[in-house]
Amino acid sequence: MKVLKITPERCTGCLRCEIACSYVQVGAFQPAKSVIRVSPFEGHTSYAPYTCTQCAEGWCMTACPVGAITINAAGAKDVLDDRCVGCKLCTIACPYGTVFYDASTRKAFKCNLCGGDPACVHACPTAAIEYEEVATRDWLHDFAAERASHVLATNGGRR
Amino acid sequence: MSPVTLSAPRQVGKPQPALPGGYAGQLLRVDLTKRKAWAEPWTPDEMRELIGGAGLGAMILYRETAKGKGNVSWDHPDNRLVLGTGPLAGLPVWGTGGLTVVTIGALTNGPTSTQANGFFGTNLKYCGYDAIIVQGQAKDWVYLYIDDDRIEIRDAKSYLGKDTWETQDALSRDLGLTGHQLSVYSIGPAGEHLVRFAAIQGDYGHVASKNGVGAVMGKKKLKAVAIVKGTKALRAADPRGLIQCADDIAHDLKTDPSARSLYEYGTLPGVVNLSKMGALPIRNYTTSLTGDVDMKSWEAPRLREGFDHRGHQCNACGMHHCHMSVIRQGPYKGKIVDEPEYEGWSGAGWTIGATDQSAVAWLNTQTDRACVDVNEFGWVIGWVMEGLEKGWLTKQQVGFDLKWGDVAGADRLLQMINRREGFGDLLAEGVKRASEKLGGEAAKAAIYTGKGASPRGHDHRARWEEMLDTATSSTATMETGNPVHQTELGLPARINPFDGVEVAKLVAGCRGRRAFEDSLGICIFTTRTRLENICRALSAATGWYYTVAEAMRFGRRTAAINRATALRCGLTPNLEVPSFRYGSTPHDGPAAGQAVSAQWEKMVDTWYKEVGYDRKGGKPLPQTLKDLGLDWLSKELWGKKA
Ligand code: SF4
Ligand code: SF4
Ligand code: SF4
Repeated sequence: MKVLKITPERCTGCLRCEIACSYVQVGAFQPAKSVIRVSPFEGHTSYAPYTCTQCAEGWCMTACPVGAITINAAGAKDVLDDRCVGCKLCTIACPYGTVFYDASTRKAFKCNLCGGDPACVHACPTAAIEYEEVATRDWLHDFAAERASHVLATNGGRR
Repeated sequence: MSPVTLSAPRQVGKPQPALPGGYAGQLLRVDLTKRKAWAEPWTPDEMRELIGGAGLGAMILYRETAKGKGNVSWDHPDNRLVLGTGPLAGLPVWGTGGLTVVTIGALTNGPTSTQANGFFGTNLKYCGYDAIIVQGQAKDWVYLYIDDDRIEIRDAKSYLGKDTWETQDALSRDLGLTGHQLSVYSIGPAGEHLVRFAAIQGDYGHVASKNGVGAVMGKKKLKAVAIVKGTKALRAADPRGLIQCADDIAHDLKTDPSARSLYEYGTLPGVVNLSKMGALPIRNYTTSLTGDVDMKSWEAPRLREGFDHRGHQCNACGMHHCHMSVIRQGPYKGKIVDEPEYEGWSGAGWTIGATDQSAVAWLNTQTDRACVDVNEFGWVIGWVMEGLEKGWLTKQQVGFDLKWGDVAGADRLLQMINRREGFGDLLAEGVKRASEKLGGEAAKAAIYTGKGASPRGHDHRARWEEMLDTATSSTATMETGNPVHQTELGLPARINPFDGVEVAKLVAGCRGRRAFEDSLGICIFTTRTRLENICRALSAATGWYYTVAEAMRFGRRTAAINRATALRCGLTPNLEVPSFRYGSTPHDGPAAGQAVSAQWEKMVDTWYKEVGYDRKGGKPLPQTLKDLGLDWLSKELWGKKA
């Protein structure tokens, strides 16, 4: 299955992926509604995007009491709006924190790989997000471990 | 002092004319004297007329800073500080985090329009505002906090004395937000101490630098503006068209020969390229020769390789410009710096005789943190160094000896300027006032324009179009900017750079584009595509059908309005001259013997004729104003009969 392959070292934190994703989610540019989120590391010196890895376990799917999360044609776990009752169980079940709840629609929402044509991949100017046939994994783990433990320069450049 | 919470009144339920796409739809007005903030709606007609940023700011200055027949001065409470963005900010077009600062500035005491990037425009618009208009003066130091509809004027005492990076660190920590979740634009110690060339810096490395806008902010006792990444939606009239256009612009930037090096290396190639034209300012214009410096090590790829760096681009930007770098060696090893722009390599480097790249990179970031304009910094420090060398300044006067290339000494002087200590107090006035005060040889060696603007970090004796532009400008920096795809406007691709008439015609012909760009909330570099593409992006965002002709007309209208304000401030044509040194003739290097002074009058005359302004009084002629659709301004400038 093709998944979003993330190379965090390439990300510059320009947030273009968030803008693009939000357009897919709500038809407007509104990063608050994006399901890909770019987080800073080491203060302000590096960034990395994160979204649902489409994990094999599918915790969100298992947790949903009404069967509102199904697998779409692209193989992504997808929330069916008309079935979702907004109980938020999936947001708690997801170990990666990549299922969100929209208070205005009272529905859960998450990455569905744009049905097989990911907008964030098109948007990213640095190819930090690619759509490839690779085994899914936690793309940020090593990066986050390294960046969180040591700041870009040892003394952080602070006077 | 407890924070005052003010909920911005939103006009719910009232029927409103349809908002053009791209706009947040409200202006945020902040009165620091009254300690009040409120949202002001603006109409679709006003949006079309003024667009935002530079255009909106110019009109606000003209309308709101008049005082009798004159104008309020930069330090008056009625001065306006417009922190504007525009309709493209926050959208997927590359480089759309733009901030345009418009105010009466401290160097010329006249209008200015100066731009920076980062995430200001993005965060502000997602909070629901297209611009912030600050007026009045706070009694005690404050900062402005914006989080969607929550607007607070908060106590800033604990941030006083901190440099701009420390201020952003501290605010992020105190507010519990990291990275682009919080965009902070602040002043450093220089702005606090009303240094006349103090700047406003934001998001670690983006500086709105010209005309002492930081001093204006300091006079208002506004330490910082902290904007949480808002949660609101921005709509485009034609979102697919906008994304398509954004991709076309990106393609142009990546592949067009004139933009490509900028795409790959930002402004780094400037050092070597300009040195070949004799336009790299070396040691306060005392020479145009690079001497025994290995210029190969100044080629862009080498400059970049010299540091460990990471991309640190602005909103939605794919340019390989703007990096965080770590210094690898020397006394500043391990320091995090913002990769210097060409202007930094020049102002904190060549201009003051410093060519050790690690040291220059460090000093450049010091100027961003103290927060002064790196160009004026170079002209000030270079002037002091030359004075000490030639003896028209003494060690006793300055407080210590300062030789060409002494980066640590330059920083020492920077910190004195910052806090107006000792000789730093005089230097804080800028090189024009400092040199005029000392007189004699000192007065002859300073680089500035008659109106008081600091030239960019070039040797304009080999770049006459920039000298002409800077000297005639009403905005204290280049008003027209460099020609970009000027053939699109029917202008020649190449001219003889040392033919005053050709130069003046080119500058006049390009006039307008810059003010248009600076009204959109987009970066000056990501607009290096054909103007047609920018108009397409604006049209897709707003739903207007915006043409190249309309864009140029808009820019010229903005320039005419700024001109009217500038005249009210006393910035008249007799001041449109370079200083003695600035207008001198290079005696060595590629432009040796090219005497701009010999052609100056002819050049300015031609420019006036071409732009349709009155050569004597400086006013745009009635016919010019009529053509621009500014009949109301014509009446105000020329009286009813005109
Ligand atoms: S694939 Fe689509 S839904 Fe998933 S993060 Fe990217 S843009 Fe958003
Ligand atoms: S678009 Fe790419 S570079 Fe920009 S923030 Fe997203 S992942 Fe990072
Ligand atoms: S070109 Fe540079 S300054 Fe301009 S938006 Fe891109 S990264 Fe920012």
